[in-house]
Amino acid sequence: MKKVAYYKGCLASLSAKELDTSTKALAPKIGLELIELESVTCCGAGDIHEAEPDFYLHLNARILSYASASGADTLLTVCNVCTLNLRQANWQLVGDAELRARVNENLVSVGVPAYERDIDVRHLLWELAEDEGFEQLKAVAHKGLKGLKIAPFYGCQILRPSRILGFEDPDRPSSLERIIEACGGEAVDYPAKLKCCGFPIIQAREETALGELVQPIEQAVDAGADAMVTPCPLCHLSLDAWQSKLKAVTGRDFKMPILHLSQLIGVAAGLPESELKFRRHVVSVKPVLEKLDA
Amino acid sequence: MKVALKIWRSNAETGERALREYEVEAPEWVTLLDVLDVIKDRHDGTLAFRKSCRMMICGSCGMRMDGAAVLACKTRMYDMVQAGHVPVISAMGNLPILKDLVVDMDPFWAKFKAVNPYLKTGYEEPPPGREFRISQKRMNAIQKEALCINCGACVSECNAMESDPDFLGPQALAKAMRFVGDPRDAGRVDRLEDLNGKNGIWQCTRCYFCNERCPKGVDPRDAIAKLGAESVKEGIDRDMGAKHAKWFVTSAKTTGWLRETELVPHTQGIVETIKQTRFALALARRGKVPPPFPPHVAKDVKEARLLYDLVQEQGRAGYEGIVQGEAALAKLAHGYREGERDPYGEGSFPRPYIAGEEATAS
Repeated sequence: MKKVAYYKGCLASLSAKELDTSTKALAPKIGLELIELESVTCCGAGDIHEAEPDFYLHLNARILSYASASGADTLLTVCNVCTLNLRQANWQLVGDAELRARVNENLVSVGVPAYERDIDVRHLLWELAEDEGFEQLKAVAHKGLKGLKIAPFYGCQILRPSRILGFEDPDRPSSLERIIEACGGEAVDYPAKLKCCGFPIIQAREETALGELVQPIEQAVDAGADAMVTPCPLCHLSLDAWQSKLKAVTGRDFKMPILHLSQLIGVAAGLPESELKFRRHVVSVKPVLEKLDA
Repeated sequence: MKVALKIWRSNAETGERALREYEVEAPEWVTLLDVLDVIKDRHDGTLAFRKSCRMMICGSCGMRMDGAAVLACKTRMYDMVQAGHVPVISAMGNLPILKDLVVDMDPFWAKFKAVNPYLKTGYEEPPPGREFRISQKRMNAIQKEALCINCGACVSECNAMESDPDFLGPQALAKAMRFVGDPRDAGRVDRLEDLNGKNGIWQCTRCYFCNERCPKGVDPRDAIAKLGAESVKEGIDRDMGAKHAKWFVTSAKTTGWLRETELVPHTQGIVETIKQTRFALALARRGKVPPPFPPHVAKDVKEARLLYDLVQEQGRAGYEGIVQGEAALAKLAHGYREGERDPYGEGSFPRPYIAGEEATAS
């Protein structure tokens, strides 16, 4: 078992609880022991970075510090936005001794341990897509996804900016496809799988956001996908919950089920509904499950 | 070596569009631009593309290779040819195609002009015989933005602009930051007011394509974040985007976690929120609208609050607080630790051919 500090972030704590329960149920099956972090806050989701950037840096340094203090070498994330925000802060701090000294002094002065031992921030997708995690995944996905066509949707902030994320080629990623195929499903290819779902501006500029959101969903439907899978709960929220608003814009009722990464593997691993919690989705996942059982 | 390319030929006047394949003989050191020159000179004089300096300064030869915006003069062909890859070359996105690889830059320049890309005078004249000196630190804050060569690679890929062509976009906003952050400029607050319009700062969707594609390291998305932070610092926060951002700050220092359910009224106001009731109810049925009471409070959230107060006192509000990791970047560029992944290394395609590697590559 590999011990990792688990940072679930805001959405998996509340509105996307299904992401948290399915991740926790899956973790021991794929060789991960999750150390749940208590004294952590929101990463700021890019919003605090844009409103109070110095506060953003300190907030994330505090998360990194508590994760490091847990003794784990990896801080595990399940959200693209958390991944970028934490990796960006980590990259800045680890690469700049002067900056780190200033931030650490502030942390200590309010009673937070200094961020001393470097920790690596990694998304669940990356743990599963290579090495030990991938081997374990293949072993656990015995129920499989046979006969299902799955459209991978990466979301932006697990690919770009690649100099901070850097797990795979941002223009030719393959981790989701590898996982889908290891689970026995068929990965569907479509151009918008690398593009933005519109979520960051879905409240402030809904029209612009919906113009972005429609592309991946429409293309996945037209490519014959039974469902889409995403490693990001924010992408999940816009793809799943805001999908209903596309009907008014396009006249098409897409009814495209959207799965969290942990749920997709959970289905292949035969996890029960009590952990997968598909009843929390806006677009019904039933047709996918029925097709799989048929 | 033999270099093969596929080029999307198109003609706005006739509406014709076709993918043509070319194979030419070229030296190993060629760039994409060199190959296009060879095609035009020796094979097909009708091919249209823009070029001028051939050295990444003029910004004329922006185009797409395999769907990603590049400067043709910066893109070496050697590795691709060795790998047997035949790239597809097309015109940039988000701008109308005139012919082949030439796009109409008028919409681009209109946005560029809209941000008044020149220094606004009005600052005090220095006393006779003296000069104003600006510290390196002040200029560092806009060093990246000043690198822009107006090539349009960022605009080509901007996801928000694809959805709304009126969005000012990454190039114009980065240019605006270049002046907002210039200590000599007299129009800082007026500029911020203008940039807080419908098609300004807060329409950016944070897809980070601009940072990824910029051939000069301008990082336009970071420039937009600087403009957002500077607006908030100046109290220019009427935009829903600014309100949305500020609610995250409030959440982090009160409960530690995002107060999701209150986010909508704090962003859109009560009237808009009421209009969204039906949508909200549909979400609530699925547990997507968590009740605000009892609040979900992070352990030791007091520390976050104290950190907030502390950084306020230390006065790095606005764009000064944005760290772009130049120290970290220098480290990244000058060597990797054992076992670290190199984002510019193997598998990162297209990769420049570096002189002296020939012996090992062949």
